[in-house]
Amino acid sequence: MAEGTQPGEKSVRLGALLAKVALGDQSAFAELYRQTSSHLYGVAVRILREGAAAEEVLQEAFVNVWHHAGSYQAAKSQPLTWLTAIVRNRCLDQLRRRELDTVTMTTDDDEGREFELPSGDPSPVDMLLAGAEAQSVRDCVDALDSGQKQAIALAFDQGLSHAELADHMRQPLGTVKSWVRRGLERLKSCLDRAGYARN
Amino acid sequence: MNLSRPDRLQRLDALTAEYALGTLPARARLRLDRIARSDGAVAAAIRGWETRLAPLADGAPQIAPPLRVWPAIVQRLGLASATTPAADAPWWTGVAFWRSFALASFAAALAFGVTLFAPKPQIDAAPIVAVLAGPDAKPALIATMLRGERTMTVKLVGAAAVPSGKALELWMLPTGAAPRSLGVIPESGVGRVVLSALPDVAFANVPALAVSLEPTGGSPTGAPTGPVLYSGKVERFY
Repeated sequence: MAEGTQPGEKSVRLGALLAKVALGDQSAFAELYRQTSSHLYGVAVRILREGAAAEEVLQEAFVNVWHHAGSYQAAKSQPLTWLTAIVRNRCLDQLRRRELDTVTMTTDDDEGREFELPSGDPSPVDMLLAGAEAQSVRDCVDALDSGQKQAIALAFDQGLSHAELADHMRQPLGTVKSWVRRGLERLKSCLDRAGYARN
Repeated sequence: MNLSRPDRLQRLDALTAEYALGTLPARARLRLDRIARSDGAVAAAIRGWETRLAPLADGAPQIAPPLRVWPAIVQRLGLASATTPAADAPWWTGVAFWRSFALASFAAALAFGVTLFAPKPQIDAAPIVAVLAGPDAKPALIATMLRGERTMTVKLVGAAAVPSGKALELWMLPTGAAPRSLGVIPESGVGRVVLSALPDVAFANVPALAVSLEPTGGSPTGAPTGPVLYSGKVERFY
């Protein structure tokens, strides 16, 4: 997926389907669903942890795809990236909206907390790295400090907020926030050096 | 959020990164979303981060969505219902479909567990039962036969409402062969299907039944054309 490499066969196929969907081709739409729904539903289930909510998001996403397939621009992202972003953003909107509905008490206060090592559960990182297709992204994530790596993996994979990350990793909120921020910065400069994407 | 400050680019990058990662708090997320709609540079920055992080989603598990999702999408868009995502791979050959049997069989075992403890019935009166359930494993339809009779009775017990212009059609799923229709299921009351032979013969090679959504009057082609809504194993109590 790095710039300059040929898009994979799958991307070409999905891109062609999206182009047909943009023209109102219903069988292309059905085929697109067949080829991508398991991946997209898996993404939604991981983030929302609720089958019913994930189903709703998947439905909305495909309704959206039908209406807006024309706005997909092959030059700017891979088809599956575009579709995954639609699903992820809907999931995240839902999760964050729930936050607005609940009153939570969080502070940036890092004091008075004992420093604990993250629980010995590296699985989200391993899972992400194992699945990552783009070698450069894999390498760059791998090069992060373990706290940064784990925070980014958990946030991406399960849609955890800063406060939830802090809770889950048993770290002060401020520590987790800076892991995420620093981790993303380092990820970007590493990817930039590797010549990976764009804009 | 003030994006006109001198360090705008750096801030924009940090915000869009956390937007794409998902850690941006609710209000900031909504604001950035609004800005991105009218500001191409912000939208491009978000897209850039989505692309950078995209390979991380490759590790997500592949989970087949429940079979009702596609018909719901088709219905919401008002598309022709004949469009099925299983066009080149019939649903009865799909892994997800067969996996659902595990759940449906469990439902059957629960529903008829009492039979296991009843005195052994007369052989001709031994029941044959299929509890058909959707992906949520809730029984939707029960089909029963007696071993010595050529009638199958069918009753809807928890099926979702059938849209107008549609009907539920019951199918035998013979091993290694195409589904065979048992007819359209009445929306209320008890349906009766007259079998061509006694169940031991008629169902000799039929481990399961399924229900698909079809146009009123049943499939026009003789094969299922709509999505499968319910399925279940044929259980013999002898």
